[in-house]
Amino acid sequence: MKIILKSILLTSVILLSSCATIISGSRQNVEINSEPSSAKVYINEIEIGNTPVQQNLKRNQEYSLVLKLDGYETYETKLERKFNAWYIGNIAFGGLIGIIIDPITGAMHKLKPEDINGSPKSGTTYNTENGKLFIKISMDIDSNSEKIGQLKKSE
Amino acid sequence: MKQMTKMLLLITVIGFTSCSPKISSNLTNPQPKLSIDEKVALLDIEHKLPESIVKVGDLRFQDSGFSTDCSFNSLMTQARNEARKNGANIVKVVDKKKPDLWSSCYRLKIELYKYDGDVSSLTQYKLKLD
Repeated sequence: MKIILKSILLTSVILLSSCATIISGSRQNVEINSEPSSAKVYINEIEIGNTPVQQNLKRNQEYSLVLKLDGYETYETKLERKFNAWYIGNIAFGGLIGIIIDPITGAMHKLKPEDINGSPKSGTTYNTENGKLFIKISMDIDSNSEKIGQLKKSE
Repeated sequence: MKQMTKMLLLITVIGFTSCSPKISSNLTNPQPKLSIDEKVALLDIEHKLPESIVKVGDLRFQDSGFSTDCSFNSLMTQARNEARKNGANIVKVVDKKKPDLWSSCYRLKIELYKYDGDVSSLTQYKLKLD
């Protein structure tokens, strides 16, 4: 019986070492949406497409996020790295390997939009589902711009 | 057991605090801050500097020993942010050590310059998302 118990314990320790890396991975999927849609999205000043857009980002970095849309004010925010609770699994189960591996892979972090005094920046809403981060940005109309017409594609 | 707990705690603290590379800066001639809309050119070793530029200062990125966020693209992004803060619109890599047996990080020596011309016309490094 003792041997079985020891084997289970050993297997758990091996399996649960690098908890966060195994459970979350070193990258995180981020989906960016906007109201209205079709805003141009720039991450670290690199254009990645128009909303809604998805990007798989490394967890151990911080990113600048900028949305631009004609007639609307440019929206700037940051994706910050926060603590990933799966990392505690290493401490709880004594996974010394995980304590070292998770910071190296970046899995000890998770990405979140920047907080101002504990709440998301005005215009940002977000939620996380199965580790995937969904961000929605509400863009404000640029008071300096006025729509004077629209070009229509000829058929 | 107490020692083990202390060790785990120490490693956790190191893990939390030491993931960023060590940045040392020597800003000899800071200029007015640049906005996000103003372009900053990233020049790698092989890219040439234009004429009539003003040196703003130097940056040095080193491995803190526990750095993980130290890819070339990440360091260049951080250098660009430092450049904007100090009014420089050219980031020029003057020395580059690639990851090797001793360090998993890029180690860079960078010079920051202010250029009055159009920086987007310069041949430059195109930043990528890792």
